[in-house]
Amino acid sequence: MNRGKYIVLTNNPLVFDKLEKTHEVIYLETTYEGLLREVRDRIHDGHLLLTHPLSGSVKPNETPYKSVLISAGKEEVDRRSLTIIENAIDACHKFQDKTGRYGESVLEDFQLIDWTLLESGLASADAW
Amino acid sequence: MRLEMGHIYIKDIQFASESKIEDGILYVSEEAVKAVALEDEKIKSVSFDIAKPGESVRITPVKDVIEPRVKVEGRGGIFPGVISKVDTVGEGKTYALKGMAVVTAGKIVGFQEGIIDMTGPGADYTPFSKTLNLVMVCEPIDNIKQHEYEKAVRFAGFRVATYIGELARDLTPDETKVYETCTIKEGMEKYPDLPRVAYVQMLQSQGLLHDTYVYGVDAKKIVPTILSPTEIMDGAIVSGNCVSACDKNPTYVHLNNPVVHDLFEQHGKTLNFVCQIITNENVYLADKQRSSDWTAKLCKMLDLDGVIVSQEGFGNPDTDLIMNCKKIEAEGVKTVIITDEYAGRDGKSQSLADADQAADAVVTGGNANQVVILPKLDKVIGTLDYVTKIAGASEETLREDGSLEVELQVLTGATNETGFNKLSAR
Repeated sequence: MNRGKYIVLTNNPLVFDKLEKTHEVIYLETTYEGLLREVRDRIHDGHLLLTHPLSGSVKPNETPYKSVLISAGKEEVDRRSLTIIENAIDACHKFQDKTGRYGESVLEDFQLIDWTLLESGLASADAW
Repeated sequence: MRLEMGHIYIKDIQFASESKIEDGILYVSEEAVKAVALEDEKIKSVSFDIAKPGESVRITPVKDVIEPRVKVEGRGGIFPGVISKVDTVGEGKTYALKGMAVVTAGKIVGFQEGIIDMTGPGADYTPFSKTLNLVMVCEPIDNIKQHEYEKAVRFAGFRVATYIGELARDLTPDETKVYETCTIKEGMEKYPDLPRVAYVQMLQSQGLLHDTYVYGVDAKKIVPTILSPTEIMDGAIVSGNCVSACDKNPTYVHLNNPVVHDLFEQHGKTLNFVCQIITNENVYLADKQRSSDWTAKLCKMLDLDGVIVSQEGFGNPDTDLIMNCKKIEAEGVKTVIITDEYAGRDGKSQSLADADQAADAVVTGGNANQVVILPKLDKVIGTLDYVTKIAGASEETLREDGSLEVELQVLTGATNETGFNKLSAR
């Protein structure tokens, strides 16, 4: 597998805007947990998890946004990736859902934080 | 390395026409500290206030807490690579102003938390209700990017803390403590029968409001390395993070890291405190693998018998914590890990997002989902405008009587993962 190739899965419109012309991005209109479930489905399909799904200290259900990198190539199901994503999905249930109550400027701040978390992952991914 | 730490106890802070420390009282010229803060043109205005233990005051949103220090002898200066030149620090003589802190506040993002209550039940959870706090609220110039604002507030705090620390340069400390580390060979010869123990400190390193700096270097870009534990006492590690305030290490905690101080306390008695190993908590999984492999490798190369590993943050770092623990144990080195928990409001959920059988010695800083009611206080320094948006808050957060229903997450330092907090169990 060419490890330099990756796919961005995101529900964050800012990430989509920034990367759609230069990267392979799958934009999904879904919740934080919904996005993690989409990642899980792809891990079952043989993709490798490349960034931690619980990146950032803004908690699931507190921020609506999540962006995750997975490998473009597929191999056998990676058990470690699966464990990490399953634990992350479990963690979503510990936090009250507050995502519906934010004003536009707070949502933009959440988008920015998610983008900077992903950006640090991209910097590492692009170093390969 | 040998560092003499002189403690100067501050009994009160007052605004005055001239900045000075006299008979344990810190007099602050508001004009002078404002000028220091406003050296950065990205800060439009700054206001200073004093909050004392027991007062009906709430400070929020807190960004950083800093203990003023001054280096009076030896190489380098406080906050190397940030305020001072990058000379290696940790030897000579340093004075610290005990009993007080510089607290920076300012809304960088709309969901930012960080509450310090100076009285009431909230005060029981944050260690910074016990310090005399010189609080600075920084307002940025218009249309500034959050990155620039964060950096401007971070540096303004360090500049003001350094200015205050300098006031102590010619004073005589009330108390002096000496911290001395050995070289590897010296330690083995001096303490042949004592277990060789190191401290592995994991540093928050993920992105905006989630970063830490080592001698000015973004911790995302370091590989695990070794410090003399005295280096942190001169500000070798500083905080750039404040999201989820309960389990982030403000700069104050780095300067006064209780794991380092407790290990020094036992050094030469029950153990040989060999060194401090620092590593990071990047979001990229291959970075995690590299850093945990290297941390375990260093433990092996140093012939350690045991390490204490402290985490910083939630979720993503749980994976680093377990990877470090598992790999270090696999090298035959015993581990004790320090974390905190997100076990749900009822405490019944899985506490961490990762686990392993090797993690059989765990110290917890408390459950960050625990609900507390914070009564209305007379004065707010900063703003409560965003309090319903912060982590651990909800629509019901601001109640009719003005009290707040929140989770411990919002309180600065409440579940700190170096043990610098007030929660304990017996």
